[in-house]
Amino acid sequence: MNKAEFIKGLEEELELEITLTAETDLKGLDEWDSMAAMLLIGYVSNEFGLTLTADDIKNISTVQSLIERIGVEKFN
Amino acid sequence: MKNVLVTGATSGIGKATCNSLLNEGYRVFALGRDVEKIKDLLDQFSEQLHFLAIDLNSYQEYTKIFDEFLSGQKLDGLVHCAGMEETLPINLYTPEAVQRIFNINVFSGIELMRFFAKKKYSNEGAGVVFLASVMATLGQAGKTGYCASKSAILGMVKSLALELAKRKIRVNAISPGVVNTPMTQKLFSQIEEDNIERIKNMHPLGIGEVEDVTPTILFLLSEGSKWITGQNFIIDGGYSIQ
Repeated sequence: MNKAEFIKGLEEELELEITLTAETDLKGLDEWDSMAAMLLIGYVSNEFGLTLTADDIKNISTVQSLIERIGVEKFN
Repeated sequence: MKNVLVTGATSGIGKATCNSLLNEGYRVFALGRDVEKIKDLLDQFSEQLHFLAIDLNSYQEYTKIFDEFLSGQKLDGLVHCAGMEETLPINLYTPEAVQRIFNINVFSGIELMRFFAKKKYSNEGAGVVFLASVMATLGQAGKTGYCASKSAILGMVKSLALELAKRKIRVNAISPGVVNTPMTQKLFSQIEEDNIERIKNMHPLGIGEVEDVTPTILFLLSEGSKWITGQNFIIDGGYSIQ
């Protein structure tokens, strides 16, 4: 999965009204709430086998920071 | 000496159950994936405790448990503790994800009972205890698979209780609230601090320890519970009465 596909997939899972980019601040989204965080954790777990912790969620801001947490090398 | 088979024996409630049974003089046949995690008990109770490393998702291996591991001994009890917990919103609950949680939480129990119910593997009057959860009767967001699978256990317990009553075999469930186990630690690592506090505050008697749960399991295996079957015992520090 490349970065663009990941971002598109995340946009679909979160059912966003706007177009998500690497610079979008996730927590600034109207749709951001505990359910959205749960979806994000589930999506990343399904795609990368990585379970994000509550601390990870606290520390991420933009989509890019999420990608960095997952590991840039995991995207092709 | 009475023989009890315990699944999920290497951690949490399963391991604590093994410990209590061994101290009460039972012979324990323990199943789990990682022998290292139960090494302390194996050293301490080398005569009484037998361990088989097995993945309970591999149903075709179950014959090994009953035909080889038990080496001809009949069981007086079964405690099915193996299981998984999962938080996954419904949008992500694919048929594969549902299958995965039901495999270990429900189908493995039914398959174990298919063997256990046979006269050659169990004695009359044996006790069976399934680990449900307070979530079997309550709901929580993101827990569709977990709640559904734990509810399924309650249905299965009632049906099996009726079916096995003619052999005086009793089948019951216990439903713990949040108990301090490795599974709970994993869950807590995934949710925010104030959410953890909220969960703790919802238990009037506080979060439970494994030792708060095991005495009921031992009671349900004992002679004292010989007229109790098909029941669900909620052990949750008062969580569900609110």
